[in-house]
Amino acid sequence: MTTPQMIDPRGPRFGAAITTLLSLIAFYLSLSDSQLAYSTVVAIGVLFLWSVLSPRTHPAGLAFKRFIKPRIAPPKELEDARPPKFAQQVGLTFALFGIVGGLFAPVFVTISAAFILIAAFLNAFFGLCLGCQFYLVLRRVGVFR
Amino acid sequence: MDSTLLLTLALLGFGLIAGLTYRFFHGRGHKVVGNECINLEKLGLLKNELPVTSFGKTATLVQFSTQYCGQCPGVRRALAKLEYRHGDVLFIEADITERLNLAAHFNITQTPTVLVLNSEGVIKYRVGGVPKPRTIEAELEKLGVK
Repeated sequence: MTTPQMIDPRGPRFGAAITTLLSLIAFYLSLSDSQLAYSTVVAIGVLFLWSVLSPRTHPAGLAFKRFIKPRIAPPKELEDARPPKFAQQVGLTFALFGIVGGLFAPVFVTISAAFILIAAFLNAFFGLCLGCQFYLVLRRVGVFR
Repeated sequence: MDSTLLLTLALLGFGLIAGLTYRFFHGRGHKVVGNECINLEKLGLLKNELPVTSFGKTATLVQFSTQYCGQCPGVRRALAKLEYRHGDVLFIEADITERLNLAAHFNITQTPTVLVLNSEGVIKYRVGGVPKPRTIEAELEKLGVK
């Protein structure tokens, strides 16, 4: 068992707040200007992919470290990086659903943005990480180890 | 107001209601009916590097944790404090990261999950998530913990 990477749990929540804002814009736009909405979902997908591949260099993570962290108290508890990372992968899956589906019908962009919005909103404002909640359940049913 | 804005607000409202519901239920325990008794041998837990073979005199607290659980250490500290304060309470922790069969047996979907057992090791109360303040204490009092 290797020692897992420990992170400040408020980092992912800050990232989720940004995702909330972006997906809110994407959802709103998808009901009026589908071209612009599609670009926004692509941007969200790129950000998700970025945090899956290289969380250390992610712009939201850097912004948190630079501007937010020095202004708030040190974390009470560090958190394992695996569940938030898994949650990012779930987010990426939803974004891909919108990106691929959007090529065929704009309604997929709306659905994708709505799912991302709800998940990110719950994470940012209630500390409820849907992906983390499903982590144990999915491991139990054997989706992954 | 146009329908686009209305729909966006409706979606946000849905998220808000979901979040408030979560906040309301998270960490709220419930009584456990049935008389399932914990089998300490099967659980095979260590405490201070010694196998746990007997229950607490009046009550036992069992915490299920995983290595990737962010809120488990805080709950562990709170429960260990309770054990320290009441001599007749035993606190044990089960790491289910690699023991998914345990998770399946107790139907654990989130960590931490805390069980309160009586002196015979029968499950009396269960909390999923971080227990709300005073819930565990209140259950211990019901079991006669001084």
